[in-house]
Amino acid sequence: MYELFKNLGTWLTSGANWTGPDGIAHRLAEHLQYSLLATLIAAAIGLPLGLLIGHTGKGAFVAINLSSFGRALPTVGLVVLVFLAGGLSMLPVYVALVALAVPAIVTNTYAGMTAVDPDVRDAARGQGMRGHQVLFQIELPLALPLIMTGLRLALIQVVATATIAAYVSFGGLGRYVFDGLAQRDLVQVLGGAVLVAVIAVLLDLLLSTLQRFLFRHRTA
Amino acid sequence: MNRRTLLGGLFAAASVPALSACASGITSLDSQGSASGGGGSSKGGVTIGTANFTENQVLGYLYAAVLQQAGVKVKVRPNLGTREIVIPALKSGDIDLLPEYQGALLNYLAPKDNSAEPGTMQNALTLAMPGGLQVLPYGQAADSDCFVVTRETARKYGLTTLADLAKQNGKLVIGAAPEVKKRRVGAIGLKDVYGVEFKEFKSLDSDGPLVKGALKKGDVDVANLFTTDTDIAANDWVVLSDPKNLIPSQHIVPLIADRKADDRVRKALARLGNVLTTAQLTQLNSQVDNDKKDPEDVANAYAKQHGLA
Repeated sequence: MYELFKNLGTWLTSGANWTGPDGIAHRLAEHLQYSLLATLIAAAIGLPLGLLIGHTGKGAFVAINLSSFGRALPTVGLVVLVFLAGGLSMLPVYVALVALAVPAIVTNTYAGMTAVDPDVRDAARGQGMRGHQVLFQIELPLALPLIMTGLRLALIQVVATATIAAYVSFGGLGRYVFDGLAQRDLVQVLGGAVLVAVIAVLLDLLLSTLQRFLFRHRTA
Repeated sequence: MNRRTLLGGLFAAASVPALSACASGITSLDSQGSASGGGGSSKGGVTIGTANFTENQVLGYLYAAVLQQAGVKVKVRPNLGTREIVIPALKSGDIDLLPEYQGALLNYLAPKDNSAEPGTMQNALTLAMPGGLQVLPYGQAADSDCFVVTRETARKYGLTTLADLAKQNGKLVIGAAPEVKKRRVGAIGLKDVYGVEFKEFKSLDSDGPLVKGALKKGDVDVANLFTTDTDIAANDWVVLSDPKNLIPSQHIVPLIADRKADDRVRKALARLGNVLTTAQLTQLNSQVDNDKKDPEDVANAYAKQHGLA
C-alpha cells in the first residue's frame, strides 16, 4: 500500500507524465473541455425549462420526473446505446453527460422559483409588471442562489463522470483510469482517479466561493 | 466476459507465480513422469472449475460430460472468476481440473516467453508448470486473438495477411481494448514483426459491442477480436492470417492437478480434444450467448451428438 502511494507521488510529479498528447496537462484540458461543454448544453436545456415551470407553475410534476429519469439512466449503458445507434463520435458521451446534468439544473431552478415569496410576486404584479418582467426582474434574481447551486452540482457530477469519454476511445482523465485498468497499472488508475477528484473539489470550492461573493448581501 | 479479462486479472500477481514456477519446474517434470505412470487417481471424483465467461463454462461442462461417460464422478463449479482465483483454487484442491488456453496460461506462468507455435508452447508450459499441476495434450479447437477487417476493406486495400497491413501504413485505424496498445499481440508486435503502423489506435472494448459496432460502421478499419466469435462469420468479416506467427496459439488445454490425472481422465479428455473443432466451439458459444441456452444443456447435447457421452 505504501509502495502504491509512493509510486503515485512519483507518477504525479514526474515532468514527463505532464507533457505530450497523452500527458496530464493535455488530458486535464480535454476533461475540462468535455465537462464545461456538457454542463453548458445541460444549462441551455435545464434553465429555461426550470424557469418556465417555476414561473407558470404548470407541468412541474412531469418535467421534474422526466428530468430525474435522466439521472436514473445508467450512464455507461446510455453511452453504448447511442454509440451503437450513431457510431463512434463524442455524441454518445455528451448525451450521457447532459442527461446526468439536466436533472440537477431543472430541480434546483424550479426549487428556487417556488421559494420566491408569493407576496413579493403579487406586489410586483400589483405594480403593473408584466409576466416576463416579473420573471426576469423579480423571480430570477431571487432564485439565483439556488440556480447557481444547481449548476454547481451539475458541473461536479459531470466532471466526475466525464471519465467515460475514454470508454469510447476519447481522451480526458478517464484515459488513465481505463488504460490503467486494462494494463493492470494501478498507479495510473489511482493517478487518474485522484486527479478527477481533485479538480471536482477545486471547481466546487471555486464556484461556492464565487457564489458566496456574488450573494454576500443576502441572508440565507 | 472473455479470455482477455481472465488474463488481465493476473498481471498484478504474475511475478509471484512466475518465480515459483522457475523454482519448481524440475519437480513438475518429475511429477508429470510419475503421474503418467498412474500416480493420480480420479476415484474420489473430479471437481471441474471454470472461469467467468461463456466459452470456459461450455468447456467445463463438456469435460464433465466426457468424464461421466468414462465413469468418473464429477462436480462442476462454474463461474469462479479470473485466473487469479481459479489457479490458487486448483493448487489448494478446491477444484481439480480447469479448461485453459495455451497462450494465456503461458503468459500467466512465464510472461517473457514469446513462443507462438502450439508444440513449442506445450513444452514451455510443461517447463513453467508449478508443482502438483500439469497440462494434458492440447485439443484442436483454439480461441485466439485475431485481427479482422470488413470484406470491403479487404478488397479495397488488398488485405489477406497481417503483412499486407504494412502497405497501408498511416492510413488505417485500429480498434481494440486499451491493453492491446501496449501488448505484443497488439500494436507493439504488429510494428515489430510486420512493420505495421496505424493512423490511429482507438481504445474500445475487448471483442464487445463497441469494437464490433465501430467496425460495422467503418469507424475503425481493423478490429481485434477472438476466433470463436460468431459475429465474424455472420458479418462476413475477413480474419487476416498470421504468416510470421506473431499471435500465440490458444489451443484449449486441460490444466489438471497431478493427484487426479489418471489414464481414464487423460483418455476421455484427449478424445474430446480430438473431436471438438474451433468452428464447433464457436457454434456452442453462440447457442449460449445468442440463443440463451444453458451451457450445461448445450455441452451435453454436443457430447451426445458426437458419441462422447
